[in-house]
Amino acid sequence: MTQNLADVDLRKRELAPSRHRETQDLPLANLIGEVDQQEIEALYKRFRRLDKDRKGFISSEEFLSIPELSINPLAQRLSFFVESINFKEFVTFLSGFSAKAGREEKLKVMFDVYDVDGDGFISEDDMAQTLRYLIGSTLAEAELRSVIERTMVAAGADAKGLTFAQYKEALGDTQLALNLEVPTGD
Amino acid sequence: MASKASFMRRTSANPVGLTRSDVLDISSPLNDAASAIVDDSFLRCFTSAVDEPWNWNFYLLPLWILGVVLRNAIIFPLRLLTLLLGALVFIVAFMVAEALPAKHRTLAERRVVQFMAQIFVTSWTGMREGECVIRYHGPRPVSTANRVWVANHTSMIDYAVLCAYTPFAAIMQLHPGWVGLFQKRYLNSLGCLYFNRTQAKDRTLVHQRMRDHVADPNSMPLLIFPEGTCVNNEYCVMFRKGAFDLGATVCPIAIKYNKIFVDAFWNSKRQSFTAHLLKIMRSWALVCDVYFLEPQSKQPGESSQEFAERVQAMIAKRARLTVAPWDGYLKYYNLAEKHPDLIESQRRTYSAIISKHVVPL
Repeated sequence: MTQNLADVDLRKRELAPSRHRETQDLPLANLIGEVDQQEIEALYKRFRRLDKDRKGFISSEEFLSIPELSINPLAQRLSFFVESINFKEFVTFLSGFSAKAGREEKLKVMFDVYDVDGDGFISEDDMAQTLRYLIGSTLAEAELRSVIERTMVAAGADAKGLTFAQYKEALGDTQLALNLEVPTGD
Repeated sequence: MASKASFMRRTSANPVGLTRSDVLDISSPLNDAASAIVDDSFLRCFTSAVDEPWNWNFYLLPLWILGVVLRNAIIFPLRLLTLLLGALVFIVAFMVAEALPAKHRTLAERRVVQFMAQIFVTSWTGMREGECVIRYHGPRPVSTANRVWVANHTSMIDYAVLCAYTPFAAIMQLHPGWVGLFQKRYLNSLGCLYFNRTQAKDRTLVHQRMRDHVADPNSMPLLIFPEGTCVNNEYCVMFRKGAFDLGATVCPIAIKYNKIFVDAFWNSKRQSFTAHLLKIMRSWALVCDVYFLEPQSKQPGESSQEFAERVQAMIAKRARLTVAPWDGYLKYYNLAEKHPDLIESQRRTYSAIISKHVVPL
């Protein structure tokens, strides 16, 4: 993966993409480095399939119409990232999940999902919100707060919350489960 | 959910300093989400076949061009003409049939509708029913009380393919446009039942009328597509159990289309039915096998659900379809909104991990 990928800020995307933007911005290869031709083709087919009304971008409703995604606890949070994305953004978004992505990139994706308000810090509120998505209402507010506080202290957070560097440090050498393979068979 | 299993294994194997990574590592649900985005087993059931290009070759290209010209300039107009003339004859014949005394009327109407179905089939195959392109296997269905026929569903053309062989009354979604007119004006005479699949009230009403229809020995054989929606003829989605708790004998029908010339799957979100028909009429031919399978009754101790699954497995095997666990109606609603419990059961897994870190206050 090229370095510029890690710098792509997932939150600062312009919305309302034009219908033909993906063709104007070719070659995609500049952006996505190691994602090979077959994978791009497979992803493009998939994109067209998800784009039910052929607008050239996918709405979050279209994403949530995938049953297996709609029941994912983080689906609501992710739908914010995938709202109205065009094909290029679709590939960029997914490349961070790829088995081929570097550890740094994967961590960046996870950090961005965690950082709900997008200020570059995972604050206690960010964490509370993300954990609520993840566990629902099974824990009382006070219990959740105690877990968050302990995590913050253990990870060495300061007043504003966890920075990316601290987040990365806290996860140490934990094996990340992000190993997306793009099926290119059919 | 292999990734979730590994998530749990990982955390339990590393009890020291587990707080941070347990709470901070959200890679497992993210990976599940991304995997569903790039591929999922639901949309696969509703994917049209892709045309593999075979004609870009010095020898094949002229042949292919010749084929395109032949199909579009000669075969298609002939078929269209057959269809229009057939429809004209049908409209007149139906009016005549309606004017007959009640004793002969029903029989005549059925015969005329069957004729129209045969015209449709001819416009897709260029041949009369039973002649090599559409092959029917197994005994021809006969009308008896307490029987119901169920088939896998690929397109509305299924109904014409079956009716051309033997007329059926079917449970159908009422369609807009000319199809709806046709349904209301003509198919009523066969005792077809219509409903709107999104209206629960309609569904209970239809269920009652289905019971009445099946109990009546003089009614037409009743055909039900228990998938409730068109599937791409590669997969078979969940059978709704309505047809299986009538207490009637169920006669399975397996329909397998050969995609060699044209994909018979009607993707109603992408294509109007008219466009779908024109596509089939411009192809060389619709090739298909219809199998009438051995009638099945509910075994003692078997639930309607299990009975439905057993019949589904029979049809899927004969038509070489892969059984998918999904409810086809998911095309029309969001799974999480309808079944919030499914998200909750996933949340319980994560909450079990997080709650380990709660310190009693």
